Amino acid sequence: MLKLKAVILTVGLMSPIIVHSMLFDLQSGIAKCITEDLMSNAMTIGKYSVVNPNKGYPLPDTHKITVRVTSPAGNNHYYCDGVDSGTFAFTANEAGDYMACFWSQEHKPPLTMSVELDWQSGVAAKDWSKVARKGQIDEMEIELKKLYDTITTIHDEMFYLREREGEMQKLNTATNSKMAAFSFVSILVCLSVAGLQLWYLKTFFERKKML
Amino acid sequence: MTRGERTMNSTMHAIAWLLLLSLVRHLSALSVTVTDVECVYEYVFYEGDIISGNFVVVDHNIFWSSDHPGLDFTVTSPGGNIVHNLKGTSGDKFEFKAPHSGMYKFCFHNSELTPETVSFYIHVGHIPNEHNLAKDDHLDPINVKIAELREALESVTAEQKYLKARDARHRHTNESTRKRVIFYTFGEYIVLALVSSLQVVYIRQLFSKTVAYGRV
Repeated sequence: MLKLKAVILTVGLMSPIIVHSMLFDLQSGIAKCITEDLMSNAMTIGKYSVVNPNKGYPLPDTHKITVRVTSPAGNNHYYCDGVDSGTFAFTANEAGDYMACFWSQEHKPPLTMSVELDWQSGVAAKDWSKVARKGQIDEMEIELKKLYDTITTIHDEMFYLREREGEMQKLNTATNSKMAAFSFVSILVCLSVAGLQLWYLKTFFERKKML
Repeated sequence: MTRGERTMNSTMHAIAWLLLLSLVRHLSALSVTVTDVECVYEYVFYEGDIISGNFVVVDHNIFWSSDHPGLDFTVTSPGGNIVHNLKGTSGDKFEFKAPHSGMYKFCFHNSELTPETVSFYIHVGHIPNEHNLAKDDHLDPINVKIAELREALESVTAEQKYLKARDARHRHTNESTRKRVIFYTFGEYIVLALVSSLQVVYIRQLFSKTVAYGRV
């Protein structure tokens, strides 16, 4: 009996000083998916690795996972089979939900492993060391540049939220007017059906010479 | 690996993909299934760090049934104590100070049968304080201020993510309402026409020839 559970996980972590990664349990044979909502032209970097249960010994084959990253349209951005760690990086050409799915081979008895994922996008994904080297800027200026980028992102997000709110309002008013129209048509339908019934029965009884 | 096994795995993979595509909604989301618990672990490096975050539950398949009662959210410290607990919510913000450093567990528990999708964001914020300043010569007091500023911007970003998630859920509800309005209205029309035609047929049948002969 194939038992399947599709689980989708979220990532949204930002920490410039310490590399923060999220751990989640992955059961053998059951796929787990993480979706991240990315804006268009956003840089994103994801680092994943399977936590070694026995420190010092090499990772057994049963702990190898398959990773696939797909765009909201369904195109494949990254696919790796039978690995225990890796990195995927790309620039999101369209805005939407990007899904990274993790799956390991079916094992009897069911095996549970911890997978560590560090998925950053936007400001945190930018290569700041390269920027520092290129301009020979010191650490504090880098921090301030990061803050400036964060603020720009926040500003853009505000525009996006405002747009969404506008769309929602349009949707609501459309539903409202539709409901009003349908109720009116409903009364008409009711009356016409009753009128048709009466007319039909009248002609029927007249035909039968009972009226 | 035998060939049969490989095809079974690929079919399972394909079915998993179909299942995933049917469950994926908007936003970064976690889907918790049948009476199940989904846990996420985060490592907190320093004691006293402020762990903040939010989560929003997006209802699935609310076409026929009533609203989902919500999920239970628990945060367990590395010592095993429950630091934060929320029951039957459909989305909330949380913020607390980490009593110890270590691995914290954030769990969502779904007590209903229908799968739910949860959109969450967790952030562990650390501000180097004066104690660290005295120890580290390289730490400039201005770095503390920059860290505070960064944390403040983080809270703004977290709030935005929360609003975005709530907006997605609201939109989902609205679209479902719209679909239901159209479906129920046309269903009503059809049922009305059907019922009245059945009435007419029944009356016709009542006055059919066999009955009429009885009258005569």
